[in-house]
Amino acid sequence: MYVIVSPRLGTPGDKFEPTDGINVQALIDGGLISTDKPKKSSKVKAEPEQE
Amino acid sequence: MATSVYLSSPGLEINNVDLTDQCTAASITYTVEALENTAFGSTARTYTAGLANNSITVTLYQSYAATETEASIYALVGTTTTIELSPTVAGLTTPSATAPKYTLTGAYLESHTPINASLGELSTIDLTFTGGTLTKATS
Repeated sequence: MYVIVSPRLGTPGDKFEPTDGINVQALIDGGLISTDKPKKSSKVKAEPEQE
Repeated sequence: MATSVYLSSPGLEINNVDLTDQCTAASITYTVEALENTAFGSTARTYTAGLANNSITVTLYQSYAATETEASIYALVGTTTTIELSPTVAGLTTPSATAPKYTLTGAYLESHTPINASLGELSTIDLTFTGGTLTKATS
């Protein structure tokens, strides 16, 4: 999934869904979009209870 | 005879990037190559359609700021992309009979001049995208 960085493509932060014929790598190289990295969960797993 | 004129202020997207406010000139050349098929017995040369050979030429102000002209164009050299051009900016999103949108898909950018500077002048670049399939949308 790609995320818009430049307002020249749309609203920054919105998903970018490329259509056929769009050179996605050039947009990434130019910093106009970014690849969305999976966010780490902020939840901390509780330690298992000891018997 | 009535005439229709319009203020030249087209909308331009290169590789989905809206560069309208950096563009000062744009032209589309829609070409279908002529193949001669004149034969003995003909009294005049005749031709038939060959391959399409389209191109779009644009002039843009150069800018090295983030996500501006240079960032949008540099990585396109040696690759193919899509260019959209309409007589009006509105025509890019809502094309109509009076504001058609022309799309050149699979167009190749052979060269770019990252620095094209003259003393005392704003820097501009000329780009020519060649090849690809040209379509015209009116709705």
